[in-house]
Amino acid sequence: MQREVGALPLAPALRARLTAAGFQTAQELLEIGPCGLSKEIGISKEEALEALQVVRQECHGDAARTAGGSGATRKFTALELLEEEQAQGFIITFCSALDNILGGGVQLTKITEICGAPGVGKTQLCMQLAVDVQIPECFGGVAGEAVFIDTEGSFMVDRVVDIAAACVQHCQLIAEAQQEEDHLKALETFSLENILSHIYYFRCRDYIELLAQVYLLPEFLSEHSKVRLVVIDGIAFPFRHDFEDLSLRTRLLNGLAQQLIIIANDHKAAVVLTNQMTTRIGQSQSTLVPALGESWGHAATVRLIFHWDNSQRLATLYKSPSQKEATIPYHITSHGFRDVQPPAVTQSAEGTGMNPRKRPRREEEKQ
Amino acid sequence: MAAKKLRRAQLSQELCERLSRCQITTCQDFLCLSLLELMKVTGQSYYEVQKLLCKVSRACAPKMQTAYEMKLRKSVSPSSAFLSTTLHSLDRVLHGGVPCGSLTEITSPPGCGKTQFCIMVSVLATLPVSMGGLDGAVIYVDTESAFSAERLIEIAGNRFPTYFDSDEKLFCMTRSIHLYRELTCCSVLKRIMSLEEEIISKKVKLIIIDSVASVVRKEFDTKLQGNLAERSNFLTRGASMLKYLAEEFSIPVILTNQITTSLSNSPVIQADLVSPADDLSLSE
Repeated sequence: MQREVGALPLAPALRARLTAAGFQTAQELLEIGPCGLSKEIGISKEEALEALQVVRQECHGDAARTAGGSGATRKFTALELLEEEQAQGFIITFCSALDNILGGGVQLTKITEICGAPGVGKTQLCMQLAVDVQIPECFGGVAGEAVFIDTEGSFMVDRVVDIAAACVQHCQLIAEAQQEEDHLKALETFSLENILSHIYYFRCRDYIELLAQVYLLPEFLSEHSKVRLVVIDGIAFPFRHDFEDLSLRTRLLNGLAQQLIIIANDHKAAVVLTNQMTTRIGQSQSTLVPALGESWGHAATVRLIFHWDNSQRLATLYKSPSQKEATIPYHITSHGFRDVQPPAVTQSAEGTGMNPRKRPRREEEKQ
Repeated sequence: MAAKKLRRAQLSQELCERLSRCQITTCQDFLCLSLLELMKVTGQSYYEVQKLLCKVSRACAPKMQTAYEMKLRKSVSPSSAFLSTTLHSLDRVLHGGVPCGSLTEITSPPGCGKTQFCIMVSVLATLPVSMGGLDGAVIYVDTESAFSAERLIEIAGNRFPTYFDSDEKLFCMTRSIHLYRELTCCSVLKRIMSLEEEIISKKVKLIIIDSVASVVRKEFDTKLQGNLAERSNFLTRGASMLKYLAEEFSIPVILTNQITTSLSNSPVIQADLVSPADDLSLSE
């Protein structure tokens, strides 16, 4: 309650004047009116009024926090968190092995990082997720929209068309097998044009455009409240050249990570980043490690590493707070990201909405 | 976009002057500072600074387009999306040919025909659209001095004898292929940076760089300290400029690379990944 003047979010010059005039706590400021304040420290009445409004806002924010209400910091019990996590959706990837090791799919409100060598399938997975996030709820999806921020220029619209067409076909097959009303109704809106119109694409050519876009994202997400996925394809590319000052790079990346965490939490969206691999030259050998350094490793909650083993593509879950480390093979087909052996398409498997692990959403679909 | 001056980002005049006194004149300088530093430098409160950040970000952020709009734009002019290589099976695998608007990398051990392929594609690019070409000029950056003009004329004459039936047509074609011999990394980079104006003035429709690997391997020994970072710096700078040119003008860019043996027990691997985000890679 007794906030010091130095800790208030006012302009530095104003703060200097207040401390010079002898004000030490916010309480003292609130006792004096704007006219008195303007006379004492020699600023205009409008500026004094503005300053007092800021101080009042801060103090009310403080009061709400100490009273345990919902302020800038949120308080939960673990039980509330458990209920929230269980009700949360996952974005499926159409590769059931990958969904299994992730615990259901790409999780909302978390940052997932995909690292891998060039050509291994990172952008393919991102495009697949941008389509899968739009799957209607009755088919087991989250019915959201996607923001795709591209820094490398590897987004191919034709490929997204192929993936989306395969996804729509899959849902149509389920709807035919089940013959339920809301499935058919959902299919009316789940068409190719709709899917493509709800992928919002930004092409950032350097790190400044990327920073600017991330600053503007909260505003964009409040306007488009159905967005549930933010993909940044190539977070490493703009930061790997033209940086003589590595400490600046680390600072900018940390700031970026913080903002993405806030965006993921506030808007209940999943953030997916793709990273490159770089060689670390060791004593006797060199290994491939994710780029951007060790400190960036803390930014993502879930880390997947894609790599090759002879000619088989493998995905390793490298870092996750709730799932154990595992490696699975996957395929990139003309339909998109898929399992190596297509899972047996049985009636019961389809009945749970394409993902047997996910908590069932409707009573009838419980096995 | 990053070098955009703050004056044009619709900040007030006095604020711009105040910032320029601290050497902050472009959007890049502004966005690289933390919030506390910005408060100190602008003398404004926390909330004001956040609003300023949004303003400056709006000045440099890219425009939004939906995937649907992109698809519509592509379907308007489908034939200009590829440069057919006239090798039918290759075209089939590439879904049409060398794609316009992205980088294509060609790798092989020495002697397989990379330079020959590049010479042939240069001829194809100068052909009129009705014959499957791009009807434009070609910029050929040669770092190995491997380009042979006689071979060029030989290929053109033998491949399209009906079209190149007169000497005049051949000379017309050779006039539109602009050859640059660059022998160091520095000069290659400088040449790439200066290409934008040449593309517009000479109506260039194809850029070929043959080869990036030779000049990089000559100058950067990766066993030495610090060279790896410099090398990847050079490569990514060149790659991002080429990508920008390819996308901006919707033209194909072809790079050639070399294959080398790695010193460990694993089999022959590709040298010098020019850019980890190349779009296509043809390995022979």
